[in-house]
Amino acid sequence: MAEIQTPSSTVEAEKIGLLGRFWRGRIWYGTEWYITTLGGLILIAMILMTIFAPWLAPFDPNAFIGAQFTPPGWGKQTLLARSGEAPDISLDNLAGVMIGVQRNRNGANLAKELHAQGKRYQTQEDLLAALLDGEVDLIFVDQKLTEEILAHYEGLEIVAEGLGRNYPLGTDNLGRDIVSRLIWGARTVLGVALTSALFSSVIGITLGLISGFVSGVLDRVLSLVMDSIYSFPGLLLAIAMVVMLGPGLINVAIAVSVIYVPTFFRVVRGQVFSIKEELYVEAARSLGAKPLTILTRYIFPNVIPSVVVVFSLNVADAILTEAGLSFVGLGLPPDVPDWGYDLSKGQSFLVAGQWWPITFPGIMITLVAAGFSLLGEGLSEILNPRLVKG
Amino acid sequence: MTTTDILYQIRDLVVEYNTRAGVLTAVDHVSFDIHRGEVLGLVGESGCGKSTLGKALMRMIQEPGRITGGELWFDGVDLMQLSPGEMRKLRGSRISMIFQDPMTSLNPVQRVVEHITETIRVHEPHVSIKAARARAAELVDRLGINRNRLDDYPHQLSGGMRQRVMISLALALRADLVIADEATTSLDVIVEAQFLDLLKELREEFNLTILLITHSIGLVAELADRVAVMYAGRMAELADIHELFEQPQHPYTRGLLRAVPNIRLEDDELYKMPGSPPDLVSPPSGCRFHPRCPEASEICSRQAPTFHEHRPGHFINCWLYQEQEESVSLEASS
Amino acid sequence: MSPALRRYILVRVLLTIPMVLILVSLVFLVLRVLPGDPALAILREGASEEQLASFRAALGLDKPLHVQYVEFIKGVLRFDFGSSMTRKIPVTQEIKTFFPATVELALASMFVTGVVGVFSGAFAAQHRKSAADYTIRILSILLYSLPIFWLGLMLQMTLGKGAGWFPVSNRLSPGMTPDKIITGMYTVDALLTGNWPLFKDAAWHLILPSITLGLVLAGIFTRLTRANMLDILEQDFITAGRARGLRERTLVYRHGLRNAFIPIVTLLGLQFALLLAGAILTETTFSWPGMGRLVVDRIYDRDFTTVQGAILFFALLVAGISLFVDILYGFLDPRIRY
Repeated sequence: MAEIQTPSSTVEAEKIGLLGRFWRGRIWYGTEWYITTLGGLILIAMILMTIFAPWLAPFDPNAFIGAQFTPPGWGKQTLLARSGEAPDISLDNLAGVMIGVQRNRNGANLAKELHAQGKRYQTQEDLLAALLDGEVDLIFVDQKLTEEILAHYEGLEIVAEGLGRNYPLGTDNLGRDIVSRLIWGARTVLGVALTSALFSSVIGITLGLISGFVSGVLDRVLSLVMDSIYSFPGLLLAIAMVVMLGPGLINVAIAVSVIYVPTFFRVVRGQVFSIKEELYVEAARSLGAKPLTILTRYIFPNVIPSVVVVFSLNVADAILTEAGLSFVGLGLPPDVPDWGYDLSKGQSFLVAGQWWPITFPGIMITLVAAGFSLLGEGLSEILNPRLVKG
Repeated sequence: MTTTDILYQIRDLVVEYNTRAGVLTAVDHVSFDIHRGEVLGLVGESGCGKSTLGKALMRMIQEPGRITGGELWFDGVDLMQLSPGEMRKLRGSRISMIFQDPMTSLNPVQRVVEHITETIRVHEPHVSIKAARARAAELVDRLGINRNRLDDYPHQLSGGMRQRVMISLALALRADLVIADEATTSLDVIVEAQFLDLLKELREEFNLTILLITHSIGLVAELADRVAVMYAGRMAELADIHELFEQPQHPYTRGLLRAVPNIRLEDDELYKMPGSPPDLVSPPSGCRFHPRCPEASEICSRQAPTFHEHRPGHFINCWLYQEQEESVSLEASS
Repeated sequence: MSPALRRYILVRVLLTIPMVLILVSLVFLVLRVLPGDPALAILREGASEEQLASFRAALGLDKPLHVQYVEFIKGVLRFDFGSSMTRKIPVTQEIKTFFPATVELALASMFVTGVVGVFSGAFAAQHRKSAADYTIRILSILLYSLPIFWLGLMLQMTLGKGAGWFPVSNRLSPGMTPDKIITGMYTVDALLTGNWPLFKDAAWHLILPSITLGLVLAGIFTRLTRANMLDILEQDFITAGRARGLRERTLVYRHGLRNAFIPIVTLLGLQFALLLAGAILTETTFSWPGMGRLVVDRIYDRDFTTVQGAILFFALLVAGISLFVDILYGFLDPRIRY
């Protein structure tokens, strides 16, 4: 009999926890579930990174901590001496010890930090020649090069290995640690993007609700204004606003938010128009509910799903716009770690083959933007299958 | 009756849909024959699977649906064994279909004539565009459309004219079998009457076999030679039209006929069948009609009856007309 | 032209007027009313009071806002954006020099977007829920999550610098000059004058920038096409066509795309803003001397009038494009034509 045969899945859903129910969603929603979850996981990772930035980041993002353009995975130094002639020194205290280093390499920085007396040489050949000639008794070379050097030059001995810091993703043109800048940069990017999406959603939703509910002349004028803003290249509008307002986190957030007011407006207004005609709203109206009650109790809750989707997609776009602003040199003050800024600074060094200062921030931007996009796309199919189709 | 009189043999056809709630069996072990030259009416409530059955006869079930069992012998060929390409060639040329809504069934950005020439040329690639056009003009002439309208877009035609265009598309290659799926539902009464007259004329002229899928008993009475009644994905009864209308046997058929407004029985109150059609994801056990059946007995909920020939040419799917021992193991019901 | 179409076009033209007015007012609002003094923004702190005052007087910034607004609108109506503060030539002259490069880039990118986006979208819709569909969907999300300038840099690094296949900046190789400027689009001009080496060189330079911009937009377009195609492939006339024995390919690419084309063209118009915004970044990345470069460079030069003029030009351009797309729509959809 029909009433006995309740689908078994719903019965079981009551017994399992929230996480279990979420896990079951993959069967029901299929691929949309995976898309949403993938986006969600990326974002959770990013948000955790943002929160724990001070503990996660190995170094100060603004400190000129290493040699410029240390390639990814480099930074550790090896201390070399002539075979059998290693001076009797304690590694714990190298103060005052004379060590040969190569100019603009991490060895030079390390010698300085250890208060050793660094003697600088222009090239690696000069440095090794100085050691072999007895000009200096100790030299720092990059650990990654040690093997190659030992193969090339005879009569050398390793005194110590693994000294100094490792830069997993290298350093930029000013010797700042890229990993640390990426981690702190997430704060900036998410901060600006979320703030601007918050601004635009509040304004866009409010105007959309009013416009759709009141309709008439006000609606037509507002729609025309919103359509006009929407048709204007967003980045250009943001550029103009930032030029006028000046750089700064809040100013950038405001400039970016203006671009996205129309998307919220359009979606909310469209939804209000269709919900307004629903029978239960008609019924409430005929029972004498006040317009404000209808708006807040009946209409607003119904636009939330689409707003969530639009919010997620807009944050993705805002991230790209913010990065674009920074890239043309108009975003944030230089002391704020920011992926777009790093990209714009790094691009001129691409010619010389320093690919790492621009590759990693770009990957991060793509990852975060894709995270929000995946979440938004997946949710839109799950929450409201018609929305994406337009 | 010799086999040459049978155009289409359907045996144990099963069509299933995968839905989020589970597997829905829209057509459940349906078997019947379509005779050459007849008009077979297929009636049932909406959602009983008659439209799905019509599509299945052309092997046009789309995902998430699938034909999961049965044989389709059309003019001596088992369509289930044909490749998709061979099946496609059959559609429109030997079996064609007239749809419910002629407005949405025509491509809005394609001219009327292009619909017809395209259909002719996909099946007969050697025909030139000019020749196809000439054939199209001849065809629409015959169907009472001014050939000046050939270059119109669908939205420029009236509803009745659009339906004539749909017929001309179905007849463009002289199909043996025309499946008309609720073909008159969207037409108003007067246009419907004209449409029926046209269909009767064409039937003679083109020697058509028609499967008339409809929920309208009146339409069936007007046009059909035999009637099949479907309930919840299964055949309930199939018989000659006069026999079925005069002596309906299955309790569902009886209920269905009593629910039709009848001018002659003015003081009789219109019959309302109790209950509603079942959920096909988890249908009732045994005979699917038993929860609504006024004559249900104990066996009905336990075991499904078989669709068998009770009298020559009269098939019934009901325990009232079947010895219980006969079919104990024949059918395992869901 | 049928009366219905004529009436449709007339209404569209009339509707463009308020749009232009709103856009121009928006630019005025941002550049003149928003807190932030253009004089200060341009001359920066440290400028003397006299410098600021003379700057304001030169631009009419010292007048009351409503007077400024009227003059502003008047200027736009006469297509007079003032004269450049750094180059001492009319801003319109500057625009005339830089605009063709943007048009060339935009058209080439639109071609890439159209080919990649429409076909992958239609293909995904045709094979809905297949592995190909999901791959295309995820890839398209990734594509439009890419910062345009970063994709540009990566392409420069790999296909440009790395492989050495394509030039990574400018519109022509050093030493190459167009014989005659006709449209300002070098590829077109070269074809018009029959200068084959010039065409090859110009096209060569165009490839990386247009792939960069085109691919990112193709991500969005794939999605739009797919969604529209899904709607259309569900419609009765596709089923009816299938019942007539038409090939799936014919159904998807002839019947489906032809119908989907109408909403897609409209969306193309709406997305044109995206194309222009993307062009600004692409031009910056590839040293492409177009409108985007003009704006960004003149911001650095503190050339307020040129920046203002270029932004106003964008506003008019956007209105013009949306009118053009509306009219095109009228011609594409027979339901409007008759």
